[in-house]
Amino acid sequence: MGEVILTMKDIDKSFPGVHALDHVNFEVKRGEVHALMGENGAGKSTLMKVLTGIYQKDSGSITYKGKEVEFHNTREAQDAGVVIVHQELNMVGDLTVAQNIFIGREPKKGFRIDDKKMIEDSKKLFQDLNIEIDPREKMQNLTVGKQQMCEIAKAISHKAEVIIFDEPSAALTEKEIADLFVIIRDLREKGLGIVYISHRMDEIKVITDRVTVMRDGGYVGTLITKDSTKEDIINMMVGRVIYEDPKQHSMVAPDAPVVLKVEHLNAGKMVQDVSFELRKGEILGFSGLMGAGRTETARALFGADPKQSGKISIRGKDGQLREVTINSPQDAVKYGIGYLSEDRRRYGCVVQKSVSENTTLATMEQFTSGLLINKGKEKKVAEKYIQELATKTPNADQLVVNLSGGNQQKVVIAKWLTRDSDILIFDEPTRGIDVGAKNEIYKLMNKLAAEGKSIIMISSEMTEVLRMSDRIIIMCEGKVTGDIDISEATQENIMTKATRNID
Amino acid sequence: MEKLKQNPIVKKLGLNRILLVCILILMFVAFRAVLGSKFPVADSIRSTLNYVYFLGFLSLGVTFVIATGGIDFSIGPVMFCCALVSGYCMTSYGVPMAFAMVLCVLIGLAFGTFNGWMVSYMSVPPFIISMASMNIAKGIASVFTKTQSVSWPQSSDPVNGWFRNIVSVNGFPVGLIIFLAVAVICGIVLYNTKPGRYILCLGSNSEAVRLSGVNTKKWRMLAYMICGLLVGIGALFFVATYTTVQPGYGDQYNNEAIAGCVMGGTSMVGGLASIGGTVIGVFIISLLQQGIMAFGLGKGQQMIITGIIVIIAVYIDVSARRRKN
Amino acid sequence: MTKKKSILSDQRFIVVLVIIALVAVFSILSKEFRQYSTILSMLDFSYYDLLMAIGVTFPLITGGVDLSIGTGMVCYALIAGTMIRSNEWPVVAAMLLCIVLGLIVGTLNGVLIGVMNLPPFLATLCTCMITRGAGSLCSATPWPALTQEGGWFHSIFKITVGTGRSADRYPIGFLWMIILVLLMEFVLFHTKFGRYTIAIGSNKEAAALSGINVKFYHVMVYVVCGLFTGLAAIAYAAVTPTVQPGTGAGLEMDAIGGVFVGGVAASGGYGSVLGTFVGIFVIMLLKTGLPYIGLQANWQQIITGIVLIVAVLIDILKEKKRAV
Repeated sequence: MGEVILTMKDIDKSFPGVHALDHVNFEVKRGEVHALMGENGAGKSTLMKVLTGIYQKDSGSITYKGKEVEFHNTREAQDAGVVIVHQELNMVGDLTVAQNIFIGREPKKGFRIDDKKMIEDSKKLFQDLNIEIDPREKMQNLTVGKQQMCEIAKAISHKAEVIIFDEPSAALTEKEIADLFVIIRDLREKGLGIVYISHRMDEIKVITDRVTVMRDGGYVGTLITKDSTKEDIINMMVGRVIYEDPKQHSMVAPDAPVVLKVEHLNAGKMVQDVSFELRKGEILGFSGLMGAGRTETARALFGADPKQSGKISIRGKDGQLREVTINSPQDAVKYGIGYLSEDRRRYGCVVQKSVSENTTLATMEQFTSGLLINKGKEKKVAEKYIQELATKTPNADQLVVNLSGGNQQKVVIAKWLTRDSDILIFDEPTRGIDVGAKNEIYKLMNKLAAEGKSIIMISSEMTEVLRMSDRIIIMCEGKVTGDIDISEATQENIMTKATRNID
Repeated sequence: MEKLKQNPIVKKLGLNRILLVCILILMFVAFRAVLGSKFPVADSIRSTLNYVYFLGFLSLGVTFVIATGGIDFSIGPVMFCCALVSGYCMTSYGVPMAFAMVLCVLIGLAFGTFNGWMVSYMSVPPFIISMASMNIAKGIASVFTKTQSVSWPQSSDPVNGWFRNIVSVNGFPVGLIIFLAVAVICGIVLYNTKPGRYILCLGSNSEAVRLSGVNTKKWRMLAYMICGLLVGIGALFFVATYTTVQPGYGDQYNNEAIAGCVMGGTSMVGGLASIGGTVIGVFIISLLQQGIMAFGLGKGQQMIITGIIVIIAVYIDVSARRRKN
Repeated sequence: MTKKKSILSDQRFIVVLVIIALVAVFSILSKEFRQYSTILSMLDFSYYDLLMAIGVTFPLITGGVDLSIGTGMVCYALIAGTMIRSNEWPVVAAMLLCIVLGLIVGTLNGVLIGVMNLPPFLATLCTCMITRGAGSLCSATPWPALTQEGGWFHSIFKITVGTGRSADRYPIGFLWMIILVLLMEFVLFHTKFGRYTIAIGSNKEAAALSGINVKFYHVMVYVVCGLFTGLAAIAYAAVTPTVQPGTGAGLEMDAIGGVFVGGVAASGGYGSVLGTFVGIFVIMLLKTGLPYIGLQANWQQIITGIVLIVAVLIDILKEKKRAV
């Protein structure tokens, strides 16, 4: 490890209502791989966005190569040599590899673009990185792993001295990760500073020199990787005081029947051989880190995305568990499943329409008498739920876009309650919702469970999972890695399972 | 202005619509004042109404399609195709009047169904299918009629003249009554029935509607079918007022129909549609055409002015939406 | 990893096979079709279609469209013709006028779409109406003087050696077309303009994030389309004895249909000028050949419509297959 190349000191950043970064410190030395870890929402991405000029810091200082700097956009950061390799790749699929690497700064020869030089330069870049990619291949024909390599090559071609990898391994295969590590080690040899953001504990141990842990927007501490254990790191990540009491034991009756049984569900890369059971009146928490495949499982179960295989059985009115075919949300709704998406504005409600219109969206049949919509009845039901759920809205005709996040969520809940759905999938039910409204949603979920509805709750918030669930399924990289009763659940054992690379 | 917006009567009617009516009246007064006797009141109203009849149906139809966030600019040529094919059946094959009228509407419906199926089940972009349908409609009309124009019977025709009663009976504007009645039905369908609700909602956020367990494909297709049906009816009114149709034409009505619709406050992005606005918009466009003609200007100026109006109306819509987000 | 693309999977190759098949069918079924004069007239009438198609290839690659090319072309030809007849402009000036008008309307389209963010089909539908209206204001038959005196104008596209019936005619226009096609193929694949056209169609966001002035290039795409519409107007005037004011609607369909047959992706991002070149000839062959086998010319409209739908469906199915 060489001298310090980049220091971030006392970085503070607030968004309306959120203190995203609270006096965070971070530094990178030449020739080191520095991991940045923390739970979802700990502030890792925000910190990196401040560094690369996407956000402007409120206070604190950034020192780069001995000088205090402030980048106003990614371009400035890039020109200075601070480059980020995004998790979501930023590429033009219809152009070739070389064309993508040099987009926006093509070498020219008279009128024409000097493609030969671009290809030569790309080849040289790849040679230095020891990667075999044909620069003439179209970007969209490459695997995700290779596309990632191209992004790295692009970063290096900017004469980068600090490269930030934002969860680079999330979409890669084992072999590709191994290749990636070879490259990262190589870059380290060359004296670059590397920031490595990842959730995978195994990788952190293998590739990084130091680990900085963040929690809830604050700086927790920095460890030397080889001197610390996985447990040390996990403890730093989760070591928060839990204010709300976690649930002590399951509230589900021991003889409660199974209402939903999923066996060997496969859907794309993110859902592999997922099996679980849901019982009547149960709140089943789905825990895991970002990209673990929880939302994908829910969407496949709900028929929103195609699935390759798997058996789904649902308990019918007669109490029998029967296999059903769910190929579309229509089917799922027919069998009494309701899905509350994490992205309410996009998938949950039609925000340009009124509260009552959204409430009845899934149950139009109940509100049509003859050909016409019975608007009186519609309004009455909408108002009933406004009252029951304590939705804060002037009236049922208010457009949903004018409501706060928590109240939008209540409108979506009302939509499924009108349908009398027995199985409700809550995907991040309290994301973007303030504390007061959060508690109301929790109360509501408990009430629904007590009434005999069964709830699948996907949540990335550890406190939420521990407080609400009767049982917890933990997923990691598309697979179920744990299924534990609430009485045995602790932050540590959940996090261990969520970061486990099972194969 | 803010105060005006809060007024309960204004709120009920919609500020936009009130403004549009004012524009309509002002236009009429202005034409009369400037043109004087070249713009005789009674005749002008009659010719405006004649224009409103067929254009109104096109505009109402395309309102449904635009509400889903799509577009159909094959409506003008399809209207001509309906009138030509059914008219030719009547004049050359002796198909009875009533059947010809039904056929006319059915042809419109067939085109609407085809467009809707292509857009929602085959995911062909609406503008491409519009282009293709436009060509196919023109082609069918030309082939079927052997490129001859078709004249529907005059009102003096003892056997078939009765069909002109849909427009007027002894000077009484039956057409206006029918048009307004259909507009009211359209309004009810769009705002007070399940299909209408789904059409508006899926135009606003198709994915959220799908995730509520609604068959969005079916309802999207229905919007195009309603459009086709209304275009077929519009064709009847066209021949009932203008008698003769020529193959190979009809394009300019696309723009006028879309203009009426967008002016009335239906958003090109989908999800927001106003039947009342469309009706007033159609009146404005129709009056404008009469005014332009009274000025001694021709089709050319009509097209230019309509084109500019649509650009302005859509730009206002696009920039208003962007400000909102 | 890199799969060698088989020549069979290249749509352009299949289109060439289709062309050969069409020529074969028409030639077998009709004696007249085999004559040199038929080929000659087909080529004559292909120039303006091809020029429009080359132009509109660029908006289509960005995922947009230009519906104003047909009426625009007729409009420019009419206005320029009026200038020659009424104001006694020299022919060269009239030709320049066509190009300038094309550039102006193209810029207008570009600004409406690229800067003001109007939907492309709607913006150009309006300019389509506007140019059509403007064209119909010119009551002139275009380029009237040319048929009598300025024979050189026609020679741009067809050289006549000798006189009368025995004269030999050479379709030199075809040569210009090949040159233009190659030139624009080069522009599309080897200049910044072309590369950013593809980038806008493929992933506009990524293009903007890479620091490209997306707005400028988006406008330029329509300017180039306008330029070629202007050139098409010249070619149109050269082959059409009389141009009816107010016509031209529907001509854009042949061009756009040809581009889709040539393999442009319906959602943008991919296409080639060479593809457009072969695609147009499918349309032209149908247009010219069908009457020879006893189908009315009007069938061509229906068939163009169907060909367009089929071409787009093929693209959509291919896309679906790739997504799985």
